[in-house]
Amino acid sequence: MSDKITNWTASDDVMVENAIRRGATRRELLHMLLAGGVAMSAGGFLLGRASDAAAAAPKSGGHLKAAGWSSSTADTLDPAKASLSTDYVRCCALYNRLTFIDKSGLTKMELAESVESADAKVWTVKLRSGVTFHDGKTLSSNDVVYSLKRHLDPNVGSKVNSIAKQITDVKAVDPLTVAITLANPNADLPTILAMHHFMIVQDGTTDFSKGIGTGAFKLETFEPGVKSIAVKNPNYFKAQGAHLDSFEYFAISDDNARVNALLSGDIQLAASIKPRSMKLVESQPGFVLSQTTSGNYTNLNMRLDLEPGNKADFVAGMKYLINREQIRKSVMRGLAEVANDQPVSPASIYYNQELKPKAFDPEKAKFHFNKAGLVGQSIPIVASDAATASVDMATVLQQAGAEVGMKFDVQRVPSDGYWSNYWLKAPVHFGNINPRPTPDILFSLLYASDAPWNESQYKSAKFDKMLVEARGLLDEGKRKQIYGEMQIMIAEEAGTVIPVYLSNVDAISAKLKGLEASPLGGQMGYAFAEYVWLDA
Amino acid sequence: MTPSSTLSQKFGYSFNWIGMIGLSIILFWATIALIAPHIVPHPVGEIVDEDYFGPMSNELWLGSDYLGRDMLSRVLMGARYTVGISLAAVSIACFCGVVLGMTAAVVGGWFDTVLSRVLDAMNSIPSKLSGLVVVAAVGSSISVLVVTLAVIYTPGAYRFARALAVNINTMDFITVARTRGEGIFYMIGSEILPNIIGPILADLGIRFVFVVLLLSGLSFLGLGVQPPYADWGALVHENVGGLPFGAPAVIVPSLAIASLTISVNLLIDNLPKKIRDRSA
Amino acid sequence: MSTYIVNLVTVRLLIAALTLLIVSFAVFFATAMLPGDTATILLGQAATPEAVAGLRTAMHLDEPALVRFLHWLSGLLSGDLGTSYVNNVAVADLIGGRFVNTMRLAGITTLISVPLALTLGITAAMFQGSLYDRIVTIFTIGVISIPEFVVATSAVLVFSVYLKWLPALSIASDVTSIWQILKIYAMPVISLTFVVSAQMIRMTRAAVIDTINTPYVETALLKGASRPRMVLRHALPNAVGPIVNAVALSLSYLVGGVIIVETIFNYPGIAKLMVDGVSTRDLPLIQSCAMIFCFGYLTLITLADIVAILANPRLR
Repeated sequence: MSDKITNWTASDDVMVENAIRRGATRRELLHMLLAGGVAMSAGGFLLGRASDAAAAAPKSGGHLKAAGWSSSTADTLDPAKASLSTDYVRCCALYNRLTFIDKSGLTKMELAESVESADAKVWTVKLRSGVTFHDGKTLSSNDVVYSLKRHLDPNVGSKVNSIAKQITDVKAVDPLTVAITLANPNADLPTILAMHHFMIVQDGTTDFSKGIGTGAFKLETFEPGVKSIAVKNPNYFKAQGAHLDSFEYFAISDDNARVNALLSGDIQLAASIKPRSMKLVESQPGFVLSQTTSGNYTNLNMRLDLEPGNKADFVAGMKYLINREQIRKSVMRGLAEVANDQPVSPASIYYNQELKPKAFDPEKAKFHFNKAGLVGQSIPIVASDAATASVDMATVLQQAGAEVGMKFDVQRVPSDGYWSNYWLKAPVHFGNINPRPTPDILFSLLYASDAPWNESQYKSAKFDKMLVEARGLLDEGKRKQIYGEMQIMIAEEAGTVIPVYLSNVDAISAKLKGLEASPLGGQMGYAFAEYVWLDA
Repeated sequence: MTPSSTLSQKFGYSFNWIGMIGLSIILFWATIALIAPHIVPHPVGEIVDEDYFGPMSNELWLGSDYLGRDMLSRVLMGARYTVGISLAAVSIACFCGVVLGMTAAVVGGWFDTVLSRVLDAMNSIPSKLSGLVVVAAVGSSISVLVVTLAVIYTPGAYRFARALAVNINTMDFITVARTRGEGIFYMIGSEILPNIIGPILADLGIRFVFVVLLLSGLSFLGLGVQPPYADWGALVHENVGGLPFGAPAVIVPSLAIASLTISVNLLIDNLPKKIRDRSA
Repeated sequence: MSTYIVNLVTVRLLIAALTLLIVSFAVFFATAMLPGDTATILLGQAATPEAVAGLRTAMHLDEPALVRFLHWLSGLLSGDLGTSYVNNVAVADLIGGRFVNTMRLAGITTLISVPLALTLGITAAMFQGSLYDRIVTIFTIGVISIPEFVVATSAVLVFSVYLKWLPALSIASDVTSIWQILKIYAMPVISLTFVVSAQMIRMTRAAVIDTINTPYVETALLKGASRPRMVLRHALPNAVGPIVNAVALSLSYLVGGVIIVETIFNYPGIAKLMVDGVSTRDLPLIQSCAMIFCFGYLTLITLADIVAILANPRLR
């Protein structure tokens, strides 16, 4: 990046990218930029940058070393159990999904040729022909049936068991056709099938240490908690296979160590660096930051069924007391977008743009706290390093509280066991939610009355009814409208405060080309290995 | 004789001088610890700087931390935790360790064997595991933190004191005292301790450094000092990202730790020595 | 004399077995007290009751914890370290290569730090109160009072990022020449040497000075022996006991305590393995690592005790 734009911030980047995803035209974009006080050339530059990336011809060959941030002996190559980002990256390189979500958030076909339904209840999946696994066997409908049915078996320990439960029947119609029957109509099925866990494995596989899939890379070595090496699959079914000859993936959990390894040239990609490391990377020539906002967020949960969350004024006060702008600027160093207390990301086509975030207003907050009779009482807030940036957010809240006479007692608890011990349980605590591809999944998992992770114990019969109604609709306009209303309900009624959507920043060597932002998360939705190349 | 004789003359002169410097730095930090809440320029949790890892300036004397909070205020308040908790913990650990160690050496036999092996076993349990168990079992408070730190460092102090005491225990004057029929407390208090006090104090000094550093490790397990407060070790840890820029946010707390720990050890090295019991 | 030592070692071995058993029980109860089990932790945010129940059955976690522990213990007697809950791999396989790595790092660090620390400690005692002594003291305490991760991170910044002399990561597998070994181990070993030497230096100095002040050494001094000679001939042998104990305590850190160095240099050793085990409540893995740490510690202190006894004939 030779030409530096002075008043261009990370959030502007996100704004433009999201606008592009929502389908803004070039004209609209330039208008937006001008309104934002950004010089004309900047807009041209940014749009130009996107086309540059597309125009550059990929080079073949080379060995890529990349590092994620978490890895342990629990590392697995079983897509159903994948839980850490390192697992996702490996699975994306070794396996394929029936469908995938492209960089603009649209669902595209991968192993499937088509996924169709007349009533959103019974679906027909046509598979591509001539796809082979790494061991030479041909992909058939039996593999798909096996892969999908695994998630229904509680003994497998699938992470998407609760989502997969709506599948009542999967059967092979012929070698290349699969019929999927759902309990209730769900128009989102093609998008659900694009989730990382629904990767297609070989029929009958129980030992996943070999990593046999249809993916762009074949597994060479895999040591859980240490590293993995994969080499290019010469028989890949896509016309354009992997550019790299091989790639090595491991984790460096210490943020500074990961950045330093990148800067010293030991690795070419350092995934998910902390905002405070950006200064260092930017100060060194030959490195680029790649930012994505994918809908990951850290939220404050107030249980509506427990003290003090059962006082509606406490919840209302907290929504005004949280200084979203300060969290964005100081805690996240600009690597975030101010959010409006509901889980649908601004990158989603269903995002309700009319719903504005509540402004920081200590006076209004104080009014509500007074009404609730809570001023002067000590209220514990549980935070942990397990929920990204929650300790810092709690400190910001604590300070704002002190100014209106509220005593927040921030309790930093260990990351270890946080999700089973404090999350969902403590009266006021922080959570961290990973991006989910559809509003339906988010709402069913987090806000429906019977949701497994109903963080604030929000119960609304009206909400539940709207959820079921929207799920079966094939009319996009109608759906968007219902989801928009549901977002308002969550923001106003639920006990969750979502201050910002977090951005993910990957730092890469300038020699690494082809890495693009993806709505599924950093590292190109964890699938970068197949698309990137090394420019020697 | 050798150059050492001139050095020991110089030693006589500089001894109090160096000891005094050490003592005054310790007293300085102790005073800060006491009056910190009254002199901090900003509340420790308040974000006062738009920038992060800010440099020293007229408004912020020690710059700002990773969130843009005032470093001076954080270091001043941090003194309370680092000085207070570490001194308390190391005193308890060394007192228990040394008393048990000397007793084991004097009593000997099965008492010695059992105590030694039990403490060995304690020392073998990884501290992360014990830290987590403590949080899970009794929750978190400053007193729990002090006790945990003391328990972690007692076995080491015990082993070292015992090794010293066992050597002294074989000396003639101990045998004499034993034949005189002296009680156990007299033996350890008047015969053993005066003869091992030098190394014991040196051990205390080094253990103090370890406690100061482990303190921050435990607050990351959720034990003890809670936000927005932080001890010095935790300040270094949370601001380590400022290292490449030489940010005062990481350098100042490091220097604070070094100044305190070096002073404690210099003071110990230069304590005025009592005339020792040479009754043998 | 030798029979005495043989007896001592035999008794110690028996006691060590007992200690290991006690530690094993302690670790078991500690792990059992921690919230969550392997199934809930692996499922994380996806831990619905049915999913947890299913995974528990699949991983054979539905037996009571104590039964599983006793099962593991009986396996241990026949030399089987058990199978990891989380990935169904034999614990021996998980530990194997990493144990070698840990021992290699510990070995190199010991070879460098022990002679260095003893030399500095003894010479500081010889010239007690001199400028040299004070510099050694200030430097020693200064170095350990800077947290380990700052030392290691600074070293990486200087030698890898700015000077580009050394690799930032110590990946032990692709070693082909002595030169590479030096490059890979340089930074971890130096960082660890800083950490473990301080205690040895300070304790050696203190123990030697203390023996200098005993009457018979003072007599030797009055007879006209030079101070350095007196220290080496008379004071040192009497200070061996405390010194070897300090050395043993410092070195025991190298077996299980090097988590920070392993993390920053991405060096695959067993300290990280233990941390993984604790965070996934993988009992066989935790137990096996704890046994290794405990055994290492007991070996070191038993050696220390033997050396102390050999050095002081009156202890026999």
